[in-house]
Amino acid sequence: MELRFDNVSLGYERSVILRDLTLSVHSGEIMGVVGPNGVGKSTLIRGASGVLSPRSGRVFVDRQDLRRLSLRRRAQIIAVVPQAVQLPEAFLAEDVVLMGRTAHLGWLGQESESDRHIARTVMEQTETLGFAGRQVGELSGGEQQRVLIARALTQEPDVLLLDEPTAHLDLKHQDEVLRLIRSLAKENELAVILTLHDLNLVARYTDRVALLSDGMIRKIGDAREVLTPEELAAAYGITIHVTDHPIHGTPLVLS
Amino acid sequence: MHNTATPPEARAESKRKQVSPWIWTGMALFCALLFSVAVGPIRIPPLTVVRMLAERLAWMKIEADWPATFATILFEIRLPQTVLVALTGMALGGSGAAYQGLFRNPLADPYIIGVASGAGLGAVMAMTLHWPATYLGMALIPAAAFIGALVTVAVVYWLARVGRTTPITTLILAGVAVSAFASALTSLLMLLSTEQMHRAIAWLLGGFALGGWEPVLAALPYFVIGLAMLAVLSRPLNVLQFGDEQAMQLGLDVERYKLVIVAAASLVAAAAVSFSGIIGFVGLIVPHMARLMWGPDYRRLIPMATLTGGVVLLLADVVARTILAPRELPVGIITAVAGAPFFLYLLRRAKQQRYW
Amino acid sequence: MKSVRSVRFVIIIGSLLMIVVAGGCGLVSGGSSQGVVFVDGMGREVTIDSDVERIVSLAPSSTEILFAIEAGELVVGRDDISDYPTDAVDVTSIGSTYGDLNMEAIVALEPDLVVAAMINSPEHVEAIEQLGIPVFVLPNPMTFPDLYDIIELAGELVSHESQAQALAQELEGRVDAILTNLEGVESVSVYYEVDGMDPTAPWTIGTGTFQDVLITLAGGENVAADLEGYVTLSLEELVARDPQVMVFSQGPWVTTTVDSVAERAGWGEISAVANGEIYGIDANWIDRPGPRLVDALEAMAEILHPERFE
Repeated sequence: MELRFDNVSLGYERSVILRDLTLSVHSGEIMGVVGPNGVGKSTLIRGASGVLSPRSGRVFVDRQDLRRLSLRRRAQIIAVVPQAVQLPEAFLAEDVVLMGRTAHLGWLGQESESDRHIARTVMEQTETLGFAGRQVGELSGGEQQRVLIARALTQEPDVLLLDEPTAHLDLKHQDEVLRLIRSLAKENELAVILTLHDLNLVARYTDRVALLSDGMIRKIGDAREVLTPEELAAAYGITIHVTDHPIHGTPLVLS
Repeated sequence: MHNTATPPEARAESKRKQVSPWIWTGMALFCALLFSVAVGPIRIPPLTVVRMLAERLAWMKIEADWPATFATILFEIRLPQTVLVALTGMALGGSGAAYQGLFRNPLADPYIIGVASGAGLGAVMAMTLHWPATYLGMALIPAAAFIGALVTVAVVYWLARVGRTTPITTLILAGVAVSAFASALTSLLMLLSTEQMHRAIAWLLGGFALGGWEPVLAALPYFVIGLAMLAVLSRPLNVLQFGDEQAMQLGLDVERYKLVIVAAASLVAAAAVSFSGIIGFVGLIVPHMARLMWGPDYRRLIPMATLTGGVVLLLADVVARTILAPRELPVGIITAVAGAPFFLYLLRRAKQQRYW
Repeated sequence: MKSVRSVRFVIIIGSLLMIVVAGGCGLVSGGSSQGVVFVDGMGREVTIDSDVERIVSLAPSSTEILFAIEAGELVVGRDDISDYPTDAVDVTSIGSTYGDLNMEAIVALEPDLVVAAMINSPEHVEAIEQLGIPVFVLPNPMTFPDLYDIIELAGELVSHESQAQALAQELEGRVDAILTNLEGVESVSVYYEVDGMDPTAPWTIGTGTFQDVLITLAGGENVAADLEGYVTLSLEELVARDPQVMVFSQGPWVTTTVDSVAERAGWGEISAVANGEIYGIDANWIDRPGPRLVDALEAMAEILHPERFE
């Protein structure tokens, strides 16, 4: 099962944000997407989820053109985890998670026992069961993010897209969330695309990296190949040093 | 409202919010209905009222020891009036909650996209075009109001379309603009036809003297269908609280549901306004009350706001009928006068807890 | 299953309401099927029993007519504004047609007939009919012969034909006397003011109103005769038309007085104001389509042609 971009260009109204996007992500693989602010990381996620239609080129999931799929079908295959910001604060965590079943509900839209079972299982997996009955507004940033991940997982997707999942989290929660994503990707055999602004996190928690710059994919491949001083300087426009992480051995980026 | 196997601690905490709301509000509605029917300019002892109701509903055989005029008053004047008020309150509460959910805006109310101004225009047009005063002519005014309301909403919706979507912000803006236009037209018509002015004002302030069961029966299908639709639309409303984009990514056909929600809420609000005039504040405040008591989940909020709306309007109506007896004030005045301070109180409560 | 419960709740509420509605339906039937059929002022066919013993009047003009044909003791309820004759004030009030009509009080009085006028709204009329009480709306007269017919009609409704006829004849006599007196008189231009709250655009009456007919019969010429119904005239227009006499309807709620008119800015140009020919006529005489219209005619005639009434 793979998610594939075939020469895709994406934009809004009259402007094109990204072009010549060609990449593919397989089940169990985590692709990190990095690049300077405003380059179009969120746009890429939108293109991958089908919410934004490509101006040219096509996005395939499991060899089907995303545009041919209904909204409902798409949501059964692809799940998006947005940033945990401006969530309606009085909803209970478990109810938010259950909303992930929307694409699977019957005609009158009632949740069945099996829907609840799936939600329960997912909450165990994401370790969110402990605060299931609490209001979302009471939870910490990391907990909220995990609830959103849980919600995405109840969609029973094959593809998981995450847009800056660590953006508003402190160090401890960043680690927590990313480790969770990594284990989920492997356990549930998900194809994962993850946008991050922190290059060091990308190095540690992804299998491959795509570096965006100037509206295109500048380089795509292994973290070591992509996170080089030359590529990063060209993309970010500042001098960057890369060394080896003393403990993990992964590339460590210093500006 | 929760998974059946959440850990006991988590469940106990959420249970605090779930104190049999159905029973509470159901009983409150029933009591309000009884109360409303027992109160009126002609004094009928409450016990007699209960006995008359029991006899009529054929629960028990009771000696009819009350004058025939009491029966006429209770069953031909008060009961239909009470039922209509209850239905109207329910419609305003339910559609108010739906609109607040659709627009994700705590200031939304059932009139925000033109139902009230459209209904007013329709009614005044019917009055000033000198419809013959035949029986059919009489029923034409609520019908004209109803059509006016729905046509206005349709125009607003069409105006607000941007490409293949209907963004919420343009919907509100179009609603405001069209409402203003319709109100201006209404004022113009009233000015050009001064003999009808007091009739028009009476209607706009709060309904007709059209008593009896006809208006209730005419309006009932719209109320029932619309409220049933809203109850079923509570799940999409929940999902919409996360924004259009997340809703789509969760698999919800956002544009289709926006249309259906607007249609159902407008249907119900249009029926309410056509038969009871423009009653303010109820549609705005009742959903907030319900939210503070029972949380923001629309699966519960829609039914609770509906039932609470019925209770609130029934009580306001009793006050309107008794506070300056023998004069009967239009209920819209009571809801406005009481509504504002109550809203402020709600704001204070709201600051202390999460409820949106 | 929360959604099923939602649907269930709606079905329950709907059914409860249906039961209540069904229980209340079909209780009171319409009026009796025997009796005479009359067509009223709103074009409705109303069947009147021959034994009308209890009447509720919904308009002051109806009250005045009923009392004038000596049917006053049959009137058990009247609208709030009915204040003439003085006996009428003692009758129970059932609210005002401008505010709220007390339906329950009307029912409690058990009337055989409700007599309304064109000033009542069709909704009120219909609402009372719904309760099984016949309502007859007296038409508005456009001429004095119309008025006599209406009075005789009222007489038939309540079986007071002879009293009605006597009244009609008396009124006709008075009117004829005035018209005879005014024969050959030169008409005077008249401005009749209904409402002068805004002196730059006061309300007056054109053709199609009884006031206009009254002015003509009393030997006057309405300066607004080219207009129809209730209209506003701009001050400029009024000055251009320059009426010789101004008559305004006077009542406790009207703030206009002879002096207040003289003080209005720009009105000094009008002949009527300059010459002090400003007169008030009791609004209740002229606005209520009842017997006192004749009083209004007499007053108007004396105002316009005092020389004929020395």
